[in-house]
Amino acid sequence: MTIQANEVTIRSDEGRSLISARAAVLAYLAVCGLVLLLMMLLGLTMRLAQAQWITVQPDFFYVVMTMHGAGMVGITGLAGAAVMWHFVRRYVPVSTAVFVTNLVFFLIGAAFILGAGFLGGFAGGWTFLFPLPAHSGALWSVNAAASYMIGLLIIGTGFLLLHLDVARGILSVYGGLASGLGVKQAFGLAPEKNGPPPAVTASTMVSIVNILGILVGAAVLVISLVNLYVPSFTFNALLAKNLIYFFGHVFINATIYMAVIAVYEILPVFTHRAWKANRAFYFAWVLSTLMVLTVYPHHLLMDFAMPTWALVAGQVISWLSGLPVLLVTAFGALTNVYRSGIKWNATAGLAFLGVAGWAIGVIPAIADGTIEINSVMHNTQWVPGHFHTYLLLGMVAMFLSFVTYIGTTGSSALASVAFWLYTIGGSVFVLAFLSGGAVSVPRRYAVHLPEWLPYDRVGSVGAALVIAGALIFVLGFLAKLPSVSASESDA
Amino acid sequence: MIQELVWATSLTLMAVLALVFIWVAFKARIELPDYGPAIASAYQKRTWLFGLAMVILIWANYRTLSHLPYVSSSAAQGSAATVQPVEVVGNQWSWTITPSNLKAGQTAEFHVTSTDVNHGFAVYDPDMRIVAQTQAMPGYINKLRYTFTKPGTYRVLCLEYCGVAHHQMAADITVAAR
Ligand code: HEM
Ligand SMILES: [Cu+2]
Repeated sequence: MTIQANEVTIRSDEGRSLISARAAVLAYLAVCGLVLLLMMLLGLTMRLAQAQWITVQPDFFYVVMTMHGAGMVGITGLAGAAVMWHFVRRYVPVSTAVFVTNLVFFLIGAAFILGAGFLGGFAGGWTFLFPLPAHSGALWSVNAAASYMIGLLIIGTGFLLLHLDVARGILSVYGGLASGLGVKQAFGLAPEKNGPPPAVTASTMVSIVNILGILVGAAVLVISLVNLYVPSFTFNALLAKNLIYFFGHVFINATIYMAVIAVYEILPVFTHRAWKANRAFYFAWVLSTLMVLTVYPHHLLMDFAMPTWALVAGQVISWLSGLPVLLVTAFGALTNVYRSGIKWNATAGLAFLGVAGWAIGVIPAIADGTIEINSVMHNTQWVPGHFHTYLLLGMVAMFLSFVTYIGTTGSSALASVAFWLYTIGGSVFVLAFLSGGAVSVPRRYAVHLPEWLPYDRVGSVGAALVIAGALIFVLGFLAKLPSVSASESDA
Repeated sequence: MIQELVWATSLTLMAVLALVFIWVAFKARIELPDYGPAIASAYQKRTWLFGLAMVILIWANYRTLSHLPYVSSSAAQGSAATVQPVEVVGNQWSWTITPSNLKAGQTAEFHVTSTDVNHGFAVYDPDMRIVAQTQAMPGYINKLRYTFTKPGTYRVLCLEYCGVAHHQMAADITVAAR
């Protein structure tokens, strides 16, 4: 019944939009693939500079660091949105025009941000931690900092529109966000089989958290912008940090919750077993919704001025947040694949790797979320170590699975070479960060001590291999693009 | 050293998880004709796993939460009767630490703040391993206690990104033998 209703709405919507839904998804994938590669090259630049294999001036290193951070967070957000939109459209009506608007806003915002960094020298870090943007030490201008923040605001506006539109679509079919999430099913108040499909549950969760996250982010951006031009207008630094990390944590985590929809939809195609949304599944997503909104104090464990109860809660919720990932999503993927007679190719492999990377990355993340450990690990390379594990080997692997799925480029011999380059290179790359963190190598240092160089060099080699793998996937997709976009089927 | 323990434990757990994924991936090529019972037993195992995870979670949080570094917490209160106050001020891009000469066996209570942006006050021991840290935030004084047991030169590094000379923001604390 709902399916039919959807089809009607989707068609009428296409009439209003200048480009078809399929073309829009392909445009997203092309942009995301290319920007992802460019940002990876910026990452490699930093690693090579730390390894002292190339020379990069510190002020430029920090520009690159700011651009890599902002660029990666933004582009994984966009990539996640492409996955979510492509699949959620099967179940609820959404607007292609809004989807395309988000891409356009993203590109405009990205121009502001790149200009701020590469022309204006802005190097305030992607988290623009108040009041650093206003205190450049004469290395970047107030206008450069403003350009960066305006760029973020434009990108945030695009995402806000997109999430509001998806939420509207979910409301129109399910009547409420709680039903879209499957709250009744989670608590056993309604039969599992009447629950929303996994893609809808995930999209509902992301709509809820990202709308809140983006609004808070916009508020603190506006405050920072005013402070840039009116320095006498000051703001409490601890409150600003709370707001920034609430926004940052929610937004980056949402990228994974969007990308995992690809796993729910793609793995079953290969295993011929439906991904069952059962009570535990709904319960896990309800819990995750609450925890992703409340766990952010684990970024402030070394802010001793914070109320201790908030930090203790940050630790306990960090530990709890691992459970849904490990016991529901990872367990679900393992049982879905277990002796399914699957014929592996790069598409299925990347989806499976994505879940593995996410689950494995949870372990060092929980360690760092423990106050006693955070005392000696905070802001060391342990931190990029754990988040690159679940972003690079998790989120981006899921996204590349989607790219090869849409491009039907997952079955060649070259694709399996790329898969192994990506998996092995990525593992070496993240382990180099983690082992650096274990010997107290600070994160965000343009210049490293001689005893830290071995870690940086191993990490550089790993990074180069990962990029080679990603390059093959992205170029393979772009080469296939003309024939893929010509094909009529709107899968 | 806590870092080594954390690294070894994390690496072991990460390897176990990776092996589970690899094992399932390789076994997956051969199809199981009857999937129903297999999945039922898997879900039964999950209930056990959940129980095990809860036990570990409660135990680990109970253990670690009794070692909070915050001076307001009772663990730190009881750690020393007399403390040596040390004033620490960070600004772009240097530290002012008074006094910066201490004696082994002394418990320092660092009063850490900043005059401009956020900095991170981290104490590295003579082997260049972090032993304690807190944030240096404008408008706040964070109190951090650390008892210096080994004499030697301790290094203070900035661990919160504070602009383009962040990596140069370092200082020394010398700890003399008793
Ligand atoms: C080949 C792939 C990649 C390479 C070589 C790379 C490299 C790096 C390096 C060297 C750093 C700085 C580490 C330090 O603090 O010393 C970094 C930071 C970071 N990376 Fe990546 N990265 C890659 C992929 C990703 C991906 C996929 C994401 C996804 C979101 C990402 C997000 C970030 C963020 C948010 C930071 C923090 C920036 C900051 O500290 O301000 N990176 N990366
Ligand atoms: Cu600093």
